[in-house]
Amino acid sequence: MASIPLPTAKHSLPSLLHAQTPKTLLSQKLPNLPKSFQSQFCGVKLSHSSNFAVPSSFKKSSILAKVSKGSVAPSFSLKDQDGKTVSLSKFKGKPVVVYFYPADETPGCTKQACAFRDSYEKFKKAGAEVIGISGDDPSSHKAFAKKYRLPFTLLSDEGNKVRKDWGVPADLFGTLPGRQTYVLDKNGVVQLIYNNQFQPEKHIDETLKFLQSA
Amino acid sequence: MFAEVATMSAFPHLRSLHHVNQCHYLSPPSHIYRSITTTTTKSRRRHPEPLVVDLPWVLNTSTPATTTIPLDDPSLQSTDPPPVLKRSTPVATTSMLNDPSLKSKWSHRAWVASGGTTVLVSLAKSVTGAVDSGTWLQPILAGVVGYVLADLGSGVYHWGIDNYGDENTPVFGSQIEAFQGHHKWPWIITRRQFANNLHALARAVSFTVLPMDLIFNDPVLHGFVSVCSGCIMFSQQFHAWAHTTKSKLHPLVVALQDAGVLVSRSMHGAHHRPPYDSNYCIVSGVWNELLDTYKVFEALEMVLFFKLGVKPRSWSEPSSNWTEETDTSSLIAEL
Repeated sequence: MASIPLPTAKHSLPSLLHAQTPKTLLSQKLPNLPKSFQSQFCGVKLSHSSNFAVPSSFKKSSILAKVSKGSVAPSFSLKDQDGKTVSLSKFKGKPVVVYFYPADETPGCTKQACAFRDSYEKFKKAGAEVIGISGDDPSSHKAFAKKYRLPFTLLSDEGNKVRKDWGVPADLFGTLPGRQTYVLDKNGVVQLIYNNQFQPEKHIDETLKFLQSA
Repeated sequence: MFAEVATMSAFPHLRSLHHVNQCHYLSPPSHIYRSITTTTTKSRRRHPEPLVVDLPWVLNTSTPATTTIPLDDPSLQSTDPPPVLKRSTPVATTSMLNDPSLKSKWSHRAWVASGGTTVLVSLAKSVTGAVDSGTWLQPILAGVVGYVLADLGSGVYHWGIDNYGDENTPVFGSQIEAFQGHHKWPWIITRRQFANNLHALARAVSFTVLPMDLIFNDPVLHGFVSVCSGCIMFSQQFHAWAHTTKSKLHPLVVALQDAGVLVSRSMHGAHHRPPYDSNYCIVSGVWNELLDTYKVFEALEMVLFFKLGVKPRSWSEPSSNWTEETDTSSLIAEL
């Protein structure tokens, strides 16, 4: 689930903040609690200009994330849906949208993939590439891509190693792999991180908006 | 359907030409009429195809028909277009309405009586306790809480049964099969007699509430238990009313539906549309908006998928066993 700012979050933050360098800290500004609770699916967006909801304590892993805004995304080499090994470094020189999703053929992930597909031309126009990553194997990705005619690369992060390396936070007390999208600029530096488990289409809106305004 | 009477008269020796064997918890209808109520949004289909010959359900109740006659047998074909008949009739329709599996048996009535009794005893204990102690507010509030939670409980149970297991699942197998059958033929519930419809819930209520009647006397507890269990027991009646056309409902029922006290026809109708993954609550439906807006059931489904590897039925394209049968006329509804 996306961030659910809870009254206790504010109190738990100080202890979590000590572990962090300033640039990776989240804003301490809390939105209006009732509204934010009601809009728990607004998602958490980390970027230069915005203030954002403080995540509740169970999302502390995002604060300890190894990959955060402004940092260079660590490279990886994973197999795509055709079994070919793809490295992140291959995309250097152009912006990349890397989206981590829970699993193929689940309702949210299907909506998200289809939304990326439907806006793919817009991403291309902005000069960006789109890569989806989940723990499913290449054959699952192949079937998923074929069924929904997905034009972009899906990578198999078997064992969820890259997910852990990048520090993608889990949801619902660790029971669900998180849904988090990173926008990397042409130098491989993270410029936007967006997290929203249950409103998958918003990932497309937010990343496209960012790319088009950049 | 219009051709059937003509066919029947032309070929009286024909038995079943079409056997439905998907749902054997009730006598499978030998033909299906299109669902009529507000639950369906599918447009009426014309009947260019002739031969859906139906037979009275009573003939098919005990054993499945084994004879299948190819419908394209030239000897059965007429060169004339199928006669257009007025919808006044049908032999088959009348007998379908008399299907024994929809009628109440004495065992059904006994369970409804026992369930009802346990609920009334609980209610009586609450009222007498409130009178004795002079405090009414708490038992009444407890009753309201019971009413609200009954709706939530109905949704959770409904979600579980709709999405997981099958007819072979222990304990719940027959219920699961019944729910699947209900999705295929939603209107049948409106033709079930009262005790037939409620007896399964009444049985569960009897077993649950009886110990509470025997052990506890607290009026607040009984305020909660009586209203909650009463709402659960009658949820099948509320459900049936949600499938009934407005013109056939008592004005009081319509008023309660419109006020949101009972689940409305339109709200429940939304549950019967693909992908069949919303509006699971069937007492008042007061929880539906919250549960659907916050994707609570989707979250639970995801957790179950990642923890246990099971996918709910609502994630897949509905199979023919699930999809509402619309290949029928709306005649039944209008009777």
